Amino acid sequence: MSFAVNMLTRSLNVFHLGGSACNNCDIEIIDTLTPCYDLERFGITLVGSVRHADVLLITGIFNKKSAIRLKRVYQQAAKPVLVIAIGACACTGNMFQKSYNWDVPVDKYIPVDAYLPGCPPKPEAMIMAVVKLVKKLRGTK
Amino acid sequence: MDLGYLILQMLFFPGLLFTAVAGLVTSWVDRKVTARVQMRVGPPFLQPFYDVLKLMIKETCFPAGASRGFFLSAPLFGMAGVALASMLIWRAFLMPGQTFSGDIIVILYLLTIPAVSVILGSFASQNPLASLGGSREIKLLLAYELPFVLAILVPVIHTHSIRLFDLLAAAPAVCKPSGIIALVVAILCMQAKLTVVPFDAPEAETELTGGAYLEYSGPPLGIFKLTRAMMLFTMPIFLVAVFCGGIAFDKGWQAVLLGALKYLGLVVVVVLIRNTAPRVRIDQAVKFFWGPVTLAALVAVTAAFLGW
Amino acid sequence: MAGPEVKHMTRDELLALVRERLGEKIVRWTEKSARRVYVEVRPEDVPEISRFVFRELEARFSIATGADTPAAIEVLYHWAFDQCGLFFTVRTKLNRDKPVIESIAPICKGAEWIEREMWELLGITFLNHPDMRHLLLADDWPAGKYPLRRDYVKNG
Repeated sequence: MSFAVNMLTRSLNVFHLGGSACNNCDIEIIDTLTPCYDLERFGITLVGSVRHADVLLITGIFNKKSAIRLKRVYQQAAKPVLVIAIGACACTGNMFQKSYNWDVPVDKYIPVDAYLPGCPPKPEAMIMAVVKLVKKLRGTK
Repeated sequence: MDLGYLILQMLFFPGLLFTAVAGLVTSWVDRKVTARVQMRVGPPFLQPFYDVLKLMIKETCFPAGASRGFFLSAPLFGMAGVALASMLIWRAFLMPGQTFSGDIIVILYLLTIPAVSVILGSFASQNPLASLGGSREIKLLLAYELPFVLAILVPVIHTHSIRLFDLLAAAPAVCKPSGIIALVVAILCMQAKLTVVPFDAPEAETELTGGAYLEYSGPPLGIFKLTRAMMLFTMPIFLVAVFCGGIAFDKGWQAVLLGALKYLGLVVVVVLIRNTAPRVRIDQAVKFFWGPVTLAALVAVTAAFLGW
Repeated sequence: MAGPEVKHMTRDELLALVRERLGEKIVRWTEKSARRVYVEVRPEDVPEISRFVFRELEARFSIATGADTPAAIEVLYHWAFDQCGLFFTVRTKLNRDKPVIESIAPICKGAEWIEREMWELLGITFLNHPDMRHLLLADDWPAGKYPLRRDYVKNG
């Protein structure tokens, strides 16, 4: 495990980026960051600026116009950055696949490292996703 | 005075490295106390170290149109200022024979450099939100420097000396009422100097999305965060030295422990105020510092002149 | 005619004034409830009625609605009389093959954006609109494809 991966996985700054979401996933993300689940024990903190971010949490669906902005925000994040698609909408488009407002899944625009299905996923599921991602990066089981 | 020896002192002990490590440990104390106040567990001991080291491996993004020189060097100015100030303070504790008269004034100037570096960096970022944060930092700087200097004046008047060592050797300033008022004023000014709640309008997290540090990433941001941690260590030590008699290293381990407890007490006061107060607007902060706080400082100075 | 005293008129006085002024232009008058009145008119009468309601009766433009119903493509303009809590809707039916109507944006600037949205999503042509371009859809949206039409098929 390299020094970079070790440090990155011990101190994750989380940035939330929502497309046209119903905001349930956004509310669940906020729930996960409350003192109840205490993610700061794992070194996870919420940041306001995308340049400080290590993990982008993507929620909602993206149409042609917002996809351009999604790409721009991803480019603004300081690399290395991880992307987690939270919720069924960000993973696959959910029930909006036949809608005119949905273009293609998020991972056709930016590289996604973890998919978290659910509508909305519970905070425990979100923590599980981060733990699995960290384990995958570190190469441990 | 050997120049090489001096440079080693500046870089390692009691200068840059020592202050950095101590600052990160103090930052952990801050986060742990905050967590306990919020009834949760809090981060592990090495978390602030991980945070800074992780930032060292990240990419540095330059905003288009930003002035590279200022953008990159602003964090270094801040770190250098606080490291030097810390070194001067610890020299007064450990090597009193090598301090000079007037070092309090030098320390006061050096401790304003981190704030100025934040202002420089925020305006070099070419971002409207960052320049908002920078302009708020300027206003805050103007507001709290006045009562802060007045408060530091009180122990100087007590001991008739502007040499830190004399303040340490004499009776602590808090033995007199004017000293107590001055300490309270200085704690409020310290809260603003460290830009913690309730005076963290320049770095308003959700309002300005990062404020003055908005465009920073990677090692420059790491140095800014390190500077903040170093300030969190240096400011309470400075106040302990000026008001409470400092940490006496030549009177046995009990005196050292007592000094450490005084310092930790001040840190906990800062953290508790941080966790129980809401953020104030910048105009409220300026009115607060130029109004009641300066008045209290003037009262303390007058009382000190009169011998109370 | 209506002057400054419009602000103090009651609901019944306002509706009586509208009825008297519109006369034969009314195709159908529906009062769904005390606060909700619909009047159906022909498309060519809409600008004149809108000018009357907006300029002389000093109603507030609330929003407009476009709908693709089995009967026709409908356009509804909703006006609010805040002095008595009355919501007054001017409704018109357009031919589905060629939905064309005169824009009321020159009369009421607040209608500009909603008419843009109605054009891009339903294909209603607004004549003399000052600034007709896409509002919500991407600028390179294929021409002639209107998403909220009943016969719209994605990628068809």
